[in-house]
Amino acid sequence: MFRVRPVLAIKKEKGADAGKQGVSPLNSYRRFFGSTTGLWGAKQGYFFILPCFLLLLLVLGFPTIMAVLNSFAPIWTTGLKNFTLNYYRRLLQDYIFWNTVLKTIYFVGGTVTLHLILGFCVAFVLNKEIRARRFFRVMAILPWTVPDVIAGLIWAWMYDPISGIVNDFLHRVGLVRSTIEWLATPTLVMPSVIIADTWRGYPFVMLVLLAGMQAIPKELYEAARVDGATWWQELCYITLPNLKRMIFIASILDIIWQTRRFGLIWVMTEGGPARATEVISVLAYKTYFKFFDFEYASAMSVAMAVFLFVIGLPYIRMMARRV
Amino acid sequence: MRRKVSQVLTYFFLFGVVVFNIIPFYWMLITSFKTDAEAYAIPPTWWPMRPTLYEGYGKVLMWTNFPRHFLNSLIVSLGSAILSTLVGAFAGYGFSRFQFLGRSFLLGVLLASQMLPGVLLVGPYFKMLVKIKLYNTYLGLILAFTTLTLPFSAWMLTGFIDTVPHELDEAAMIDGCTRIHAFLKVVFPLITPGMVATLIFAFLLAWGDLLWVLCLTSTDSMATITLGLSRLVTQFRIIWPQLMAGSVIAAIPPMVLYLILQNYLVKGLTGGAVKG
Repeated sequence: MFRVRPVLAIKKEKGADAGKQGVSPLNSYRRFFGSTTGLWGAKQGYFFILPCFLLLLLVLGFPTIMAVLNSFAPIWTTGLKNFTLNYYRRLLQDYIFWNTVLKTIYFVGGTVTLHLILGFCVAFVLNKEIRARRFFRVMAILPWTVPDVIAGLIWAWMYDPISGIVNDFLHRVGLVRSTIEWLATPTLVMPSVIIADTWRGYPFVMLVLLAGMQAIPKELYEAARVDGATWWQELCYITLPNLKRMIFIASILDIIWQTRRFGLIWVMTEGGPARATEVISVLAYKTYFKFFDFEYASAMSVAMAVFLFVIGLPYIRMMARRV
Repeated sequence: MRRKVSQVLTYFFLFGVVVFNIIPFYWMLITSFKTDAEAYAIPPTWWPMRPTLYEGYGKVLMWTNFPRHFLNSLIVSLGSAILSTLVGAFAGYGFSRFQFLGRSFLLGVLLASQMLPGVLLVGPYFKMLVKIKLYNTYLGLILAFTTLTLPFSAWMLTGFIDTVPHELDEAAMIDGCTRIHAFLKVVFPLITPGMVATLIFAFLLAWGDLLWVLCLTSTDSMATITLGLSRLVTQFRIIWPQLMAGSVIAAIPPMVLYLILQNYLVKGLTGGAVKG
């Protein structure tokens, strides 16, 4: 049988077997134009990624640069003439902005913590040998498949003080007698929104952690059991240490997504009542399109982008190096 | 004995989780079958007394602009998903097969661009689209959604193309193919499942978005499904059966698609790609 032998330099070997192929003109031609590492071969790579990066430059790069410039000067009207740092100075002194920062920390801290705890517990249980595992798995993922706007709408209706299911349930159980205004009470609204977001968001963390748990070799647990380890010891000395990387990835991605969360909060409260749920994306949106203060809103968004980038940097470095 | 107890506790916990996950769906479904009067009954009913399709589904489909919003969502999401999957496939091939200078850096740029917050971009987009007369058009929205979907698609497809052995394209090239033919004729057919998965995830990213449509459209005839539904809330009186019927219709496509494709996403993720 005729077998095709790869004569082209293979990725990462960097021409290690170059000597074996003989020096016919054809081979050296192929090694030069067909290789993936040499001077010409590498340039072909640029050809393939070019459309993607041109498009990215157009739809992402340019607007980003404009947003950054806009945070220093009203570029859309007078260009860069009135360059100033005043928008950032204003940011530092604006108590509404700092209220928003606190609310964002409250929201992101609350949701990410709950996502991690609930996600870990459910993944831990689903990783055991249980009956109807597929059924429970599908059930556990279900909320995440719903767009966050729809999740917000459903929960807003559940929290309805008079006809909502939450108050009705509490009445029937006998826990509460009064009518609780979940989304209209400044102290209650944030926990209510956090619960709604937890419902929608934790399955993603669960999926990541479950994938991580399934990748842990079974032999480790068997060995531990032979040595008489309790389930708690298994958890602390096998599961958690092996899951560190996945917990890290899930937390970073979740922090980034939760900081950017807009739709769910917007349909539930629009940031109210009394700015109690006004997270940064909501305030930035309002500053743009309710007050038309584009420069100030840009400064706010740039601050947010820098924060997200700093949070995301370890993830980016980890991923880009690995592939 | 202890084993039994732990088993009972396990199923008890799972049962609780299922109830917590299901109740909002249940509430959405039964409300969509209620009449308007029953939805406001005190105390609320846990099962529709006279289930009706007309009050929820009928009215939202006939009396509101909902079908148009559904169509808009479909056009805009599919447009940006197709664009970013095609462009992303080429980029994925480039990243997967070549060790060019700055490869890691550009991969990092790809990942970093997924972290840019939407609110940073909506301002410039609004001004730009108004200037080039694409504000409140499909094309403008498709370009805007590409900011969400393209970095994701390119990253995801890099992972998928990595799973195709590079010996295959090399064999094709020995048989006389050029690079581009090797990609189009050998690798392209092999990654079709991965491309379909990426296409669908990109589609869903765009489908669920609210911020961009809120900022880049002005007329109701250009609104997408999420915006249309959220506008029903801010109206003076919320007609919940209609709103929940609309939510059911809007939630079904992503639910079905996610459940079919969940394994793909986890694989893509353990390779590092995901956005949600």
